[in-house]
Amino acid sequence: MTRTVLDIMNLTVNLPNRTRILRDVSLSLEPGEVRALVGESGAGKSMIGKAVLGILPPKVRISEGEILLDNEHLGAMTPVTRRNTVARMSALIPQDPLTALNPLRKIGPQIVDPLRRIHGWSADKARARALELLDRVHIRAPERVMASYPHELSGGMRQRILIAAAFAPSPRLIVADEPTTALDVTVQKEILKLIRELQRETGTAVLFVTHDMGVVAKISQKVTVLFAGKVMEDAPTEQVFSGAAHPYTRALINATPSSADPSRSFTPVPAQLVADLHREIAQDDHLYMTVTS
Amino acid sequence: MLLKTLITRLLTMIVTLFGVAVVVFTLVRVAPGNPIAMMLPPGASEEDIARLTALYGFDKSLVQQFFIWLGGVVQGDFGTSITLRQPVDQLVLSRLPATLELAAMALVIALLLGGTVAVLGARNRGTGTEVGLDLTSGAVLSIPDFLWGLIFVLIFGVLWPVLAISGRIDPRIEFDFATNFYLIEGLLRGRFDVVGSTLSHMVMPAMSLALPLAAMIAQLLKQNLKGELVQDYATIARVRGFSETTVILREALRNAALPTIALVGVQFTFLIGGTVIVERLFAYEGLGNMAIDAVINRDLPLIQGIVLLFAAIFIMINLIVDLSYTLLNPRLRHG
Ligand SMILES: Nc1ncnc2c1ncn2[C@@H]1O[C@H](COP(=O)(O)OP(=O)(O)OP(=O)(O)O)[C@@H](O)[C@H]1O
Ligand SMILES: [Mg+2]
Repeated sequence: MTRTVLDIMNLTVNLPNRTRILRDVSLSLEPGEVRALVGESGAGKSMIGKAVLGILPPKVRISEGEILLDNEHLGAMTPVTRRNTVARMSALIPQDPLTALNPLRKIGPQIVDPLRRIHGWSADKARARALELLDRVHIRAPERVMASYPHELSGGMRQRILIAAAFAPSPRLIVADEPTTALDVTVQKEILKLIRELQRETGTAVLFVTHDMGVVAKISQKVTVLFAGKVMEDAPTEQVFSGAAHPYTRALINATPSSADPSRSFTPVPAQLVADLHREIAQDDHLYMTVTS
Repeated sequence: MLLKTLITRLLTMIVTLFGVAVVVFTLVRVAPGNPIAMMLPPGASEEDIARLTALYGFDKSLVQQFFIWLGGVVQGDFGTSITLRQPVDQLVLSRLPATLELAAMALVIALLLGGTVAVLGARNRGTGTEVGLDLTSGAVLSIPDFLWGLIFVLIFGVLWPVLAISGRIDPRIEFDFATNFYLIEGLLRGRFDVVGSTLSHMVMPAMSLALPLAAMIAQLLKQNLKGELVQDYATIARVRGFSETTVILREALRNAALPTIALVGVQFTFLIGGTVIVERLFAYEGLGNMAIDAVINRDLPLIQGIVLLFAAIFIMINLIVDLSYTLLNPRLRHG
């Protein structure tokens, strides 16, 4: 058996009225791999990350399927074991660095406390590790930053702190949920580069949620394309960009304004295509309701 | 920066107190009832009345009386109580500790009780427990402090008499108080009979005052906690493996408490207002009880002194609330 970091098998996630938010989703990540998760807003990209990390919103439930972290079934664990396993194995880089740090706590403890909890390290050891990582993400005065409150730092700084905090416990998997969307364009590139560098150095697998096909090309080896909670395509990144892609994926690529070449024209996803996909999903829903009721 | 704020606040305080002085001075003289007539036995001669009226200066014009009084106040002379024949400032200051201890005890109970219920509600959000706690605090809130007092007297004073229902301390206890802070002094001097007796007298009035405030804190703090618990920083803490209770206590509570403080400040001034009637109910020898006697006896200097002191206390509470808000919020602290 190959040692996958993350293996999602036939995951279906429901609301209490059995509306499906994720439909039979499967994907996996090898160690050191970056998989991009793309799709329009509301497609369920974040929901996949949340299901893995055990932070689904209230009332949203996993109704079918399995999630394996490092070949261990999360579903078979007690809540406490699952929480500890997820904390040890994985980390989250969120979208908005402004709300992801507690405004009333200093930066230092916000990095150090989790390290102590996850690895049982001493305060000194955890602190040394935090400083090391802050230095690694090019924060110039890490000691001073540790003693600062979030509001004293810029958005880019905070996102670098969150990246440092995510990598500090040496997780095997990082879920990065649109980590650059809330940032200035210039900062975006820097942050992307940083995540890629750290990911390569440490061999951490990354599930990278994004809207931006340009980012997909830069950072990922694999792509999962999602539409209305359903996987449209799961393929190596180069294959997707060399043209051999599902029509919806191709439409997404054509619909992305290129940040590298802003003059390139882009066309919105054709309405007919979206309508066809929705019809397909509706038929599928009808079948699902009939079978499961 | 802080100094400038303090000076501004101090000036505001003086202006406010002056306003209060004018209003209370006028009101007690406009209200019906002649203090002199009440001091003398029925059938006193016109002469006697005139003499006494002149002694207390009531024969002068209102404006004259006001400035004579104010002149004294500025020098720390608040006049003499008509009924008790002692300087007003001494009387008031001797009663102040009792009311402060009672109000502080009520505040502590309200914070602990309200805070615990809020945390429990947030911890069990979306469940029947939350609904149950909401309903309970809603019901508690609908009963005012003096009614709680009556309920407590009935239960713990009459049906199941385990608590003292009247006074501040068991008069049989022999103890030479250096101050009127019975509870604090008893604690500091290790006299636990004093502490026990004081507490037994204080529990019911303090609970009566605390319950409505506790219910209000429970509701507002829980609402604020729920708002904080959906923030990204709380989610990240969960991904880090921290339990929901830890997330609430260590991450969310401080953030949720900040907007709660302003309300607690305002409500605490209401609570102090509530001491007047609750102290009366339990014959607790505090300022509020003294205020009611002063009003009944038309003891004008004493009423004026007490009202001024209450006003000063309210202003201090507001100042403390503002300062603590600034101190707890790092964004304002350095600003
Ligand atoms: N708390 C919730 N309760 C019920 N449904 C929800 C909840 N949060 C999200 N959804 C639904 O789940 C679906 C997927 O949401 P998700 O947040 O995963 O989308 P996304 O692909 O991440 O979109 P975006 O690009 O806007 O972040 C959406 O259709 C949304 O309506
Ligand atoms: Mg999302």
